[in-house]
Amino acid sequence: MKRWLAAVLAASLCGCTAVAPYQRGYLARDDMAFDPSPGTARALEKTYSAKEAASGGASVGGGGCGCN
Amino acid sequence: MGRLLAVLAFLAISQAAAAVEAGGAAPVLDMPRLDQPAASVALAGLRGKVVYVDFWASWCVPCRLSMPALEALYREHRDQGFVVVGVNKDVSADDAKRFMGKVGVTFPLVSDLGDAAARGFDVKAMPSGYLVDRKGIVRKVHRGFTGETAAELRGEIDALMKEPS
Repeated sequence: MKRWLAAVLAASLCGCTAVAPYQRGYLARDDMAFDPSPGTARALEKTYSAKEAASGGASVGGGGCGCN
Repeated sequence: MGRLLAVLAFLAISQAAAAVEAGGAAPVLDMPRLDQPAASVALAGLRGKVVYVDFWASWCVPCRLSMPALEALYREHRDQGFVVVGVNKDVSADDAKRFMGKVGVTFPLVSDLGDAAARGFDVKAMPSGYLVDRKGIVRKVHRGFTGETAAELRGEIDALMKEPS
């Protein structure tokens, strides 16, 4: 029982940790963005949609039927 | 084995700091000033004044609203013994200074690079503000900031200013 408890306590001390609200400046950095260049990504997405004749494949629901 | 258990339990418990809420004493903190790191602001040194400890950052969108509102409250009440202490939570002091270039304030700003102040108060949201009375007791906690917060805060400051030190 004690060994099991020690293992649980030890496991609780490592692994994933929550980012405190006041530490989110690290996440707000430009190089932490999911897409570091939103303008270029938007242009590429538009070109891709035009070439494939279907929009919304990247993130938005809907297809090329013009019904969304 | 028992000793190991005790150490692990202590470490597990010590990771969870207790949040400062209304009615609790403000933590004893001494924080370097943002503009002059050699100088510092000690909360204990402000005993006798009504203090609003505000945690802010340049990346915190509601802080664009809170900082001008706090500056207005500070200018309005500072002669009666009210002070705002702005605790900056930017990773880089340059980001804070750039933000201050747009939203200039005259109340003291301090940095908290080691997170001692944020951990001391156990800040749960950005911005967070702690209204401390003349005796060093936290009387109100504001998490987030809207126009309503500013109006509430004005009333709370007025009430605390009337209390004896």
